[in-house]
Amino acid sequence: MKLKLGYLVLLLLMAFITVPLASLFFASDILGSQTNQESSLAFWNDAYLRRVIYFSLLQGTLSTVLSVGIGLFVARAFARYGDFPFRSVILSLFGLPLVVPAIVAVLGIVSVYGSQGWLPLGSDLYGLTGILLAHLFFNLPLAVRLLLPTWNNVPQQHWRISSQLGMNNWQQWKHIEWPALRESLPSVAVLIFMLCLTSFAVVLTLGGGPKSTTLEVAIYQSLRFDFDPEQAVVLALLQLALSITIALIASRFSHLPDVEPNLNIRSSIIPTSNKMISFMFIASAVIFVGTPLLSMIIDAARGPVIEVLNDASLWRAAGFSILIGLCAATIAVTLGWFLLSASAHKAYTGNIRMAQFLELSGSVVYVVPPLVIGTGLFILLSKLVNVFEWAILIVILINGIMGLPFVIRTLGPAMRQHTQRYQCLCESLELSGWQRFKQIDLPLLRKPLGLSAALVTALAMGDLGVIALFGSPETATLPLLLYQRLGAYQIPQAAVIAVFLLASCLLSFWLIERGIGGKSSDEKESA
Amino acid sequence: MLTIKALKFTYHDTTKNKKYGDMEMCFNLNVKAGEILSIVGSSGSGKTTLLNLIAGFNKPSSGEILINGKDISGLSVAKRPVTTVFQAHNLFPHLDVFTNIAIGIKPSLKLNTDEKEQVYQALESVGLENLSTRLPRQLSGGQQQRVALARALVRRQGVLLLDEPLAALGPAMRNEIISLIKKLVADKKMAALFVSHQPSDALLASKRCAFIHQGSVLDLSDSETMLNNPNHPEIKDYLGTL
Repeated sequence: MKLKLGYLVLLLLMAFITVPLASLFFASDILGSQTNQESSLAFWNDAYLRRVIYFSLLQGTLSTVLSVGIGLFVARAFARYGDFPFRSVILSLFGLPLVVPAIVAVLGIVSVYGSQGWLPLGSDLYGLTGILLAHLFFNLPLAVRLLLPTWNNVPQQHWRISSQLGMNNWQQWKHIEWPALRESLPSVAVLIFMLCLTSFAVVLTLGGGPKSTTLEVAIYQSLRFDFDPEQAVVLALLQLALSITIALIASRFSHLPDVEPNLNIRSSIIPTSNKMISFMFIASAVIFVGTPLLSMIIDAARGPVIEVLNDASLWRAAGFSILIGLCAATIAVTLGWFLLSASAHKAYTGNIRMAQFLELSGSVVYVVPPLVIGTGLFILLSKLVNVFEWAILIVILINGIMGLPFVIRTLGPAMRQHTQRYQCLCESLELSGWQRFKQIDLPLLRKPLGLSAALVTALAMGDLGVIALFGSPETATLPLLLYQRLGAYQIPQAAVIAVFLLASCLLSFWLIERGIGGKSSDEKESA
Repeated sequence: MLTIKALKFTYHDTTKNKKYGDMEMCFNLNVKAGEILSIVGSSGSGKTTLLNLIAGFNKPSSGEILINGKDISGLSVAKRPVTTVFQAHNLFPHLDVFTNIAIGIKPSLKLNTDEKEQVYQALESVGLENLSTRLPRQLSGGQQQRVALARALVRRQGVLLLDEPLAALGPAMRNEIISLIKKLVADKKMAALFVSHQPSDALLASKRCAFIHQGSVLDLSDSETMLNNPNHPEIKDYLGTL
């Protein structure tokens, strides 16, 4: 039964990827008539297309270099100043960008660096500068959290040998820290590059016209503004080719960063380095990450709070957002559970290859950007139904399946360990099916289950990509409503909606993580 | 000559519910130049803590660590004339054998001709002259420990601390490394402390042996007598002869 359900999910996933992609291929008719081939050739030679590809890669590369480069120094500051005041609070704050919707962060960036902000950049904000700032806001904390555990991986003996040999700060960096970081750096960089390449809301709102457009945004513009499905298809295929190339590069790294890394540095083992410099790095990073959120909250407090809260469209959008978040999480967690159960069972019976294949299939959807899937579905469904009427259902489905990689990464390791430990015992006690799920699996796996459900809910609630493609004013979610207000230059209203959306995402995350995951064992003990 | 006088340290149990409890430790012992003193005792008795106190990784609350009559207990780790060989992770994985030894002379790795010669001599002493360009992962466990010993040699310090250096090795390799340690300690006139879990290793490595029990030296005597005809019930218990 377990295996059958796993294989069924596998089939569903394959259909979910192949059907929209096939629809794209057929729609493009790239390999069709000579006229089409000529027009396609002309399209490939199009300066706009070349510009879009160039800009996609440029912003991705620069965002990655800045995030990882600066993140490296901030992570080192955290590692080498283990007793930094409010360390765990700051690192929790650095986890926030994971659940902060991109459109909210954009508003925060505008609030600080916009013409009315604390550090006005003027029109420079709209274009590469603004995109880099927003990507840095998201990915600098991510890089810090992913790189920090590397210091814990350095054997205690190396630190001791270095102090016995009298190594200075630079020599410790060169012989101990850098060799360890070199191992994890490429996988972190590839992950961040992928995130920047598929970034949609940031580029859509901060990109300044044709000069600063990425493939993702160009697909959206082709469909929604230029009404040119042919161009959208070519762009979507290009985006797919780029994503697959990056995924192939990423597959060369055996070590993938953890979704929930261990950030407790063994301060008794890792020697403290120059506290002043460490303090400066940490303080600068905290100011950079904290100010957009703080500034946006201040703007919202000064804004028309009552007016926005009395607006029925806000509550309708909130309802849609919560519905999408909860349904997407249910889909992602259910599919993830079936897939991981089958994978863990295969691993338990010694069929490691099949186990890995099943688990990998859940992450494969990450290679195909949601907008590419969305475009395929848009083109396919537009021939059959009015896609805008089906918007919420399609958005739920895409967000649910796109949330699957997060479930695989958070629940997968725990599920594997759980099966190895208890499979034999459960079999000997003849525990199976619902009884086993209720008595054994759920109580022991509720923590990673809660975390993955909370993560998918928050991400789906804050998603602007798919809803922007399918949504209409009647089916607007909170991110789309916020985008519409921004587009109409209703910045004070937008600030209030942004804080409302942020609070909704954080509250949902917290409630679901606690509701399903329960208190951690530490908290229970102290209670 | 290494002399430890009333060296006190309080081990604070940081585990939940104080599973092991705090322990007051006090050590007294001496080791002559060119001598190996084996340190044996059950897990958690304080063997490694003693080495950490001498190396400076742990700070004693009182007492003296005398090397050739000079108290080093106030010196920083880098200033102490002490070198340590650990059970594992002695080598930096990205550096080849030659560089792993050279880093013991100068962390900047800017070696002059004489210093390079010292590295080659050390490699010869441990029988690895043909493997100088290999990376640690290309060596066996025994060869890795030989490289660590070669680095200890080029450091030319008066005291050598060996913290279970044979734990990861097979029986044949253990005997080989013990012979090498004995030869190097005698040649370089170092005072060596050799922590081991195996009484047989202690017997082979040194004439004298110290038995550590609950943070202090319970017995310090001839290895043969202590380990073959133990007097103390704690030692009999440890050896399983009670």
